[in-house]
Amino acid sequence: MEQDKKSLRRVYDRVVIKKMLTFAKPYWYMFAIALILIFAVTGASLARPYITKIGIDKYMTGYSDGTMSAQQASKGIWYLGILFLALIIVEFVFNYLQHYILELGGKRIIKDIRQKIFSHMQYLPLSYFDKMAAGRIVTRITNDPETINEMFSSVMVGFIRSIVEMAAIIVIMFRLSYRLTLVSFTVLPLIVLASVLFRRTARKVWQRIRTKLSAINAFLAEHLAGMKIIQVFNMQEKKYQEFDQINSEYYDAHMKRVVIFGIFRPFMDVVKTLTVALLLWYGGRNILAGLLEFGTLYMFVDYIGRFYHPIMELTEQFNVLQSSIVSAERVFNLLEEAQEQNVKGKIKDIGEIKGQIEFKNVWFAYVGENWVLKDVSFKIEPGESVAFVGATGAGKTSIINLLCGFYEHQKGQILIDGIDIRDIGKERLRKNIGLVLQDVSLFSGDIATNIRLFDSHISMEEVEKAAKHVNAHDFIQKLNGGYAHQVGEGGATLSVGQRQLISFARALIRDPKILVMDEATSHVDTETEILIQDALVNLMKGRTTIAIAHRLSTIQNADKIIVIHKGRIREMGNHQELLNKRGLYYNLYRLQYDQEYKVV
Amino acid sequence: MADKSVLYKNLVKHKWRYAKGLFFLIIINILQILVPKITGIVVDGLKSLSLDNKDLLYYGALMILISLMIFVSHYLSRVQVLGASNLFDYEVRNEMFDHMLSLSMRFFHKSRVGDLMALATNDLGSLRMILSRGFNLVTNTIILLVGSIVVMAGYMDLRLTIYAFLPFPFLVWIMIKFGPMINRRFRRVQESFSDLTRKTQENVSGIRVIKAFVQEKNEIDNFARLNQENFDINMALARVQAIFYPSIGLISSLSFLITFIYGGNLVINGTITLGDFVAFNGYLGIIIRPIISIGMIINFTQRAKASADRIHMLFQQQPEIVDVGMPDSDQEKQQWQKGIEGKIEFRNLTFSYDKNEPPVLKNINLTIEPGKTLGIIGKVGSGKSTIANLILRLYNPMEEGQLLIDGVDITKVPLKLLRESIGYVPQDNFLFSSSIKSNIGFTPEEPDMDEIRRAAQISQIDDTIMELPHQYETMLGERGVNLSGGQKQRVSIARALVKDPSILILDDCLSAVDTNTERKILDQLKPFMEKRTCIIIAHRISTLQDADEIIVLDEGRIIERGNHEELLAKQGYYYRIYQRQLLEEEIERA
Ligand SMILES: Nc1ncnc2c1ncn2[C@@H]1O[C@H](COP(=O)(O)OP(=O)(O)OP(=O)(O)O)[C@@H](O)[C@H]1O
Ligand SMILES: Nc1ncnc2c1ncn2[C@@H]1O[C@H](COP(=O)(O)OP(=O)(O)OP(=O)(O)O)[C@@H](O)[C@H]1O
Ligand SMILES: [Mg+2]
Ligand SMILES: [Mg+2]
Repeated sequence: MEQDKKSLRRVYDRVVIKKMLTFAKPYWYMFAIALILIFAVTGASLARPYITKIGIDKYMTGYSDGTMSAQQASKGIWYLGILFLALIIVEFVFNYLQHYILELGGKRIIKDIRQKIFSHMQYLPLSYFDKMAAGRIVTRITNDPETINEMFSSVMVGFIRSIVEMAAIIVIMFRLSYRLTLVSFTVLPLIVLASVLFRRTARKVWQRIRTKLSAINAFLAEHLAGMKIIQVFNMQEKKYQEFDQINSEYYDAHMKRVVIFGIFRPFMDVVKTLTVALLLWYGGRNILAGLLEFGTLYMFVDYIGRFYHPIMELTEQFNVLQSSIVSAERVFNLLEEAQEQNVKGKIKDIGEIKGQIEFKNVWFAYVGENWVLKDVSFKIEPGESVAFVGATGAGKTSIINLLCGFYEHQKGQILIDGIDIRDIGKERLRKNIGLVLQDVSLFSGDIATNIRLFDSHISMEEVEKAAKHVNAHDFIQKLNGGYAHQVGEGGATLSVGQRQLISFARALIRDPKILVMDEATSHVDTETEILIQDALVNLMKGRTTIAIAHRLSTIQNADKIIVIHKGRIREMGNHQELLNKRGLYYNLYRLQYDQEYKVV
Repeated sequence: MADKSVLYKNLVKHKWRYAKGLFFLIIINILQILVPKITGIVVDGLKSLSLDNKDLLYYGALMILISLMIFVSHYLSRVQVLGASNLFDYEVRNEMFDHMLSLSMRFFHKSRVGDLMALATNDLGSLRMILSRGFNLVTNTIILLVGSIVVMAGYMDLRLTIYAFLPFPFLVWIMIKFGPMINRRFRRVQESFSDLTRKTQENVSGIRVIKAFVQEKNEIDNFARLNQENFDINMALARVQAIFYPSIGLISSLSFLITFIYGGNLVINGTITLGDFVAFNGYLGIIIRPIISIGMIINFTQRAKASADRIHMLFQQQPEIVDVGMPDSDQEKQQWQKGIEGKIEFRNLTFSYDKNEPPVLKNINLTIEPGKTLGIIGKVGSGKSTIANLILRLYNPMEEGQLLIDGVDITKVPLKLLRESIGYVPQDNFLFSSSIKSNIGFTPEEPDMDEIRRAAQISQIDDTIMELPHQYETMLGERGVNLSGGQKQRVSIARALVKDPSILILDDCLSAVDTNTERKILDQLKPFMEKRTCIIIAHRISTLQDADEIIVLDEGRIIERGNHEELLAKQGYYYRIYQRQLLEEEIERA
């Protein structure tokens, strides 16, 4: 499932940087303050040698020249000393503030970005999660923003500072000698060329690094969760090799980076020396020819040294920028994924949902034209209980998936109380449906949280009541800590049946108008199942209930049984009617009955 | 300290790379001194007009040559040092995964996937980063220090030196004080990152539940809380660092201040000359640079230590399920030459998942002869899967009682052989995001297509797979999301059959399969099961009524045992269940 390929799609840097800057916008004043502070600190640190200079020129030499008394000189030194102290304190405070403010700004932006991706991700459709490895999504939410951080805490302000520094030095250089300046600028094409080449390769390398990191996370997420199967099937060695493969690709990507950066940065040093050599040669010739003053060349060489300082900084910042852009691209790619449609719904006030469900010629495919449901039509009245039966893979769960708005059907209409579910809105729809999923999944945390999830308004009494309905109360109480018992990730420390009961309780507690049970008791023993059935008789009153089960015994009391075969509805009616039809249901029933009746 | 070995070992392994890197770094430092030297010569020459054009060309060329040499050395040292840190990263990550592969279920049940992910990427990554930058930093600092001490040795005014270095004890104090603080806070930063990873990971794996119960907003709030916490913790570290570096700067600036005031007065007193004063200032500048670097080194080492400690904790976890015998010894090899026959014997076995928890299995006495079939039925949570877990040796039996395979205590059976001989269909099936083919052929031996298809045929999934556009090459999503519940179960059955095991364990694995298909599977399985020891766990009597022996578990005890007829005759739990299952259908049939 190589989904990260998409992120290799070229997005213009400007667009990405602009988008990144929109995140920085609310904090622009912080960066402005930090910039001012940085200039102040630079000023202060430049002033220090100047003070020393005054001390030497004015007082120390002044005394030795005899222009002032020892006392005066000493006093002057002390005054300057106090000024010096004031400067270093200012430097200290400003430095602290500057560092702190930049971190504050950077970290806030990262926090905002994280929150934004996570929130966006929450509302992505299930089809996205079907094709995207969990570990990859995790990488984009946790690791990638971390890389963007540096962009804000060091690059953004540093960039401006370097540019200003460079501009200032260029101005001075031009003033000193425009000819020498032009001579030293002859190497500029080299710098530009190197940067362009570097950018292109560095980008690719960073993309590889991020993609491979993502792959490592995806691999780990999946294989740590499936460790039991790996061990039981003796696949440790093979899985180790697979991991080694991904890991070594990650290593290779990093080594490429080492090589590229190992060339680019030192190359700038070469360019710098080249410039100096060029200057000495050209300037030297001119001096020898008497066309240039010695002092000018001397100072110029000094300034070239200074000129390269911001250039080196820029090079470093350029590096960081490349990696930030790559991570930002990945983040923005996720943010660009279309969210679920109609979460809120168009119609504002539809009053209480009564629970009438109607499918009208619904066609549905998970991928392309692979129709899983074909022309499905049925109607369920409020309060009715309906059962779906059919062979495995017939499309029962898919019907539920559509009813809950997990996937979008391609043709036809699904109506609740006569209103299209797209108009009702997914949120309201799901709030009215209590769903027991076929694939049980619990979260790490305590039992109570697993039942009520994060709805804090649900009281402990209600939790217990729901647990009692599904006959889970007894075993929960026996657990260490009762309802506060901590279960492992995915509920791994409970038996599978226990997990299923908890997931059942989860659906009941919300008092839903429509109760949907997809193989809700498949892992539950007969005695417990009967107890639940008994409890359900009461609970089902006033609710529309949909049950999917392979055990006909658990569904034959339904008002209506719908038989699905290969994505089409083949029979519909109550138990007796269907038996009389002598069709699919009859066959299914006969078989099961015979089989269980056989040995007596 | 012996335990530190994994990180330490991998670090030491590359000592030659570091040595080479060090060599080139020294070269760079030497060469770098040469460039300004040459500039100086040229400038001086120009000043005295003692150079001609040829000399200029010569020196220019020399400078470029040297800079090219620096370039090469730079490149080589980077490749060596950064290469070593990348290798370290790669090797330790491999070892981490290797180590995790050897850890037992008990470990995985108490740890979280997200935490382990953070450890393998974030912590290890920061260690790598610190190693590469740290090495260069330490080396350069040492070179600078040595250099400046050499320079300083030529000049000493004792009093001035003492005064100038007066603030340095504070420096030491700051470093000692801030070091552990940075360590603690960085550790919390890493932990908090781990929390974020864990939350996101769990959220994504449970997204269906989140959506079904409209928990998105709550989860966004939950995440926001962790995110805010992460921000606060990061800021706590940033605050320390924001004050740490400027403090070092401040204190070293104090040295300059003292030198300026005290030295200035000494000049005025005539104790030292102005030249001495200027020189001293220069030297101070030289010696202070490496001292400021020491601050950075402290920052780096403390951060490295925090991550290393966290990683170290993982390596300290001892694998619990290991071979106690000597699987390579001739005696054992001979003993297991023919593989495992399949006799399973529980002798008075009592088991609990944790020492402090009540037993889950109590006094189990059970013998399954090779080739026989055992059926297990019982209430939710009665310990059925636990029996399977023990036979698979996912857990070691406790002191009480024994579990024997072919008459040998299970802990003495070579682990690999044991698991190789068992075909296991778990109750909560787990498929991997790879092709159906590799999901079924999930054994080290790489079965061929015929074997895979045969297994798929028995488990009634072959037809379904062949109808798919890519057939056996169809890629599954994580956990097999793009299959229906029953399809997943059948793939998982095929996966167990393809191993051609001598013991087959089916743990409630037909629950999502319709009766029709179930019947077909069981019929097809019959010949397959004849030669093998089988354990079938089920809630439906129809699934296991043909077993040679059936046990009924209740709260970890065997409360009834016998074959189908015997159990019915007993008129106990089994009989009641049977009546119920029968009755339900009979009532409506009338
Ligand atoms: N997320 C998905 N992406 C692609 N195909 C899917 C997805 N989920 C299910 N399918 C396919 O759709 C078909 C119908 O699956 P569905 O889950 O609706 O079956 P079901 O009737 O519930 O079967 P079971 O009784 O085994 O649970 C199957 O062939 C399945 O492979
Ligand atoms: N890894 C574990 N750690 C701690 N306790 C566990 C663990 N696995 C299971 N248990 C507990 O042990 C008991 C028996 O669990 P087991 O999975 O063997 O039940 P089971 O008979 O298979 O039930 P089911 O029919 O629901 O699958 C349960 O009470 C369960 O909570
Ligand atoms: Mg289903
Ligand atoms: Mg079980």
